[in-house]
Amino acid sequence: MENYYAPLDAAFHALADPTRRAVVSRLTKGPAPVKELAEPFAMGLPSFMKHLRVLENDGLIRSKKIGRVRTCWVNAERLNAAEAWLSEQRALWQARTDRLADYVETHLSGSMDDAG
Amino acid sequence: MPAERSELTIARFINAPPAIVWKAWSTPEHLAKWWIPAPIECKVVKLDLHPGGAFETRMREGDGDFQPHLSACFLEVVLEARLVFTTVLTEGWQPAEPWLALTAIITFEAEGSGTRYAARVLHKNAEDSRKHEDMGFHDGWGTTIDQLAAFVARLP
Repeated sequence: MENYYAPLDAAFHALADPTRRAVVSRLTKGPAPVKELAEPFAMGLPSFMKHLRVLENDGLIRSKKIGRVRTCWVNAERLNAAEAWLSEQRALWQARTDRLADYVETHLSGSMDDAG
Repeated sequence: MPAERSELTIARFINAPPAIVWKAWSTPEHLAKWWIPAPIECKVVKLDLHPGGAFETRMREGDGDFQPHLSACFLEVVLEARLVFTTVLTEGWQPAEPWLALTAIITFEAEGSGTRYAARVLHKNAEDSRKHEDMGFHDGWGTTIDQLAAFVARLP
């Protein structure tokens, strides 16, 4: 159960960073080479590539190297899946509620005395 | 847009009295243990349990920096019974534009020797999302990100 929902957390983590949000925003307008994507940011290419890897690992973007140019594009399937957001939210709250129950029953039961 | 398309309710029995379940919710050290699934680490930055009080959690993976997770404002706090918070406001009822607008109504009700725990979560409806889509990218990073964030967002 937990393993199944972990990718959602990872994807959220990917979007929590302003550089990565900006990259995804740019890519929703169309594919772009890495060099062009990196241009607006005041960071070295290795640092920028780390951001791209996070996005690609989380399935938010895809990339392909043709010759010496690596081109990135947004993962449309993931975008279309946005329609499923409510069921994703439900799954997330269900998992969270189960974690609370497990935590209470495992770690806090029998602690009535200091419940205040 | 019918409400069932934009709200959800999770309810379950927890085998501990409301005072204990409340403790797991209202104590930062406890909340951090279950609010976000491992291995992602949760830090409870603010948990000011009164109307207008801040509710802020951050998260990180591995040795990275802590990133924003949830920023919200409590609307209602009834000891060991009810918690209501929303992400469209932050501390002191300051209006905000969250990635995912939601209001969560958490209730703790005694049932036998345990607790009937429920989380009812209200979202903006799909029509709103479509309206935003039509408006495009005027705000810099735009709607698609909002939708993506809504899809992937961990709660907030």
